[in-house]
Amino acid sequence: MIRAIFYKEWIKIGWYWLLALIASTGFAGFAMLRLGRACSLKGAAHIWQVMIERDAIFIDLLQYVPLIIGLGLAIVQFVPELQRKSFKLTLHLPIRATTAVGTMLLFGATMLIVSFIPAIVIMYCYLQSFLAPELWQHVLFTSAPWYAAGLAAYFLTAWIALEPTWARRVINGVIALLIIKVYFQQAKPEAYNGFMPLLSIVTLLLSMLSMISLTRFRDGRQD
Amino acid sequence: MENVIECRNLTHYYGQRLIYKDLNFNVPKGRILGLLGKNGTGKTTTINILSGFLQPRSGECRILGEKIGEMNPETRRRIGLLIEGHVQYQFMTIEQIERFYSAFYPGWKREAYYELMSRLKVAPRQRINRMSCGQRSQVALGLILAQDPEVLVLDDFSLGLDPGYRRLFVDYLREYAKAENKTVFLTSHIIQDMERLVDDCIIMDYGRILVQMPVDELLGNIRRYTATAENGYTPTQAEGLYNPSMIRNMLEVFSMRPESEVIEMLKAEGLKDVKAEKIGLEDAFIGLTGKY
Repeated sequence: MIRAIFYKEWIKIGWYWLLALIASTGFAGFAMLRLGRACSLKGAAHIWQVMIERDAIFIDLLQYVPLIIGLGLAIVQFVPELQRKSFKLTLHLPIRATTAVGTMLLFGATMLIVSFIPAIVIMYCYLQSFLAPELWQHVLFTSAPWYAAGLAAYFLTAWIALEPTWARRVINGVIALLIIKVYFQQAKPEAYNGFMPLLSIVTLLLSMLSMISLTRFRDGRQD
Repeated sequence: MENVIECRNLTHYYGQRLIYKDLNFNVPKGRILGLLGKNGTGKTTTINILSGFLQPRSGECRILGEKIGEMNPETRRRIGLLIEGHVQYQFMTIEQIERFYSAFYPGWKREAYYELMSRLKVAPRQRINRMSCGQRSQVALGLILAQDPEVLVLDDFSLGLDPGYRRLFVDYLREYAKAENKTVFLTSHIIQDMERLVDDCIIMDYGRILVQMPVDELLGNIRRYTATAENGYTPTQAEGLYNPSMIRNMLEVFSMRPESEVIEMLKAEGLKDVKAEKIGLEDAFIGLTGKY
């Protein structure tokens, strides 16, 4: 039954996921190409110097890419369920409603993470080729909250989409914006290093918000 | 007779507006029960409560002996649900949706689904959102037949269907329900369809049940009475007479009381040319609930 839910989710997100994978990998590849070009023109030593003296990370282009991908994935996955209230069909399946929604979220979050992996691997492999460990770790650690924001955007959008009333959706949207702001509060590279374990836990806990929307949907809340 | 659906003292409000208070009804095993009512009398509210998507303010409903709010997934497997407008996963094709649902029901009857699908002129890879309302209704019905549930809850099954698809739906459903001894609870706006399909009916008015009885009994008892009145006659409200109305000097009234008794009563009021006639379910519904 869990596999059947995965199958349904794949039908909804398949094309979007491929586009997301290409976009995420493409942006990372483009950022690396740009860095490689600068390296070949000015030399690796110059890149090192700019990174150390000016705190440059050369991947600023990627900052909002995971966020947009996460938000889009939740829309593509959950909005069709809400069209003409077909979410009722999911809740009528002979499995627990929390299991059904949890499985949908698990599938979406896993696919989102998988779509980010090639980008991270490209950056990891490429940066290692000409940067000292401290410098490539500096770049990757700086991007960590951006990817966490992608996952948070996914969970928060799912929470808003599953909410049955528009009034509450607006409130949830405002709360979601404030939560997302936390992930982009500090522009300084590696500003989140000490905070990342806690931020990761909070990000995963955001998945529980959808259960509030589920309870409200089952109670028949209306505008 | 064993009751498959039992609702006790259902009370529900939307905000301050009372929908109904202390509503009680049962659906016995193997019967097809139709819920009839004007818009806003609580038909969809009742269906939403029965399908677990609305918590009533008070009271409880049980299906197959289990409280709906706490229903075990295994019990839900024995209940087929048709959502108003034949809603199904719009993003799937007829093959994908069959494959999806079959994983949830061990007794899945693939042939029943594809037998119905063979009547549709749709490509196997055509998505449901590109089908007509009639075609979607057949997909929804085919999925219910393949699920082979003990109880079917159908919300406004005739919505958006042309006469051909309505007839196909009604005939298929009735034959299936009777052959397999299924219990069906349904609503529809098209009362002629109900007459062909249901064994028992509940007619709801605002906030209460007017009538709950077998359709044969209702149609056997109810009569429309017409009579000619003198100018200036005002119909009186007597017990057992429903919705008396005047069109020019012609009185029209409905009653389930014995025919001779009603005729005597009308004649005693000075009315002339008193006639009684048998009526169908739609006229009975209008007679009991009023035209407006």
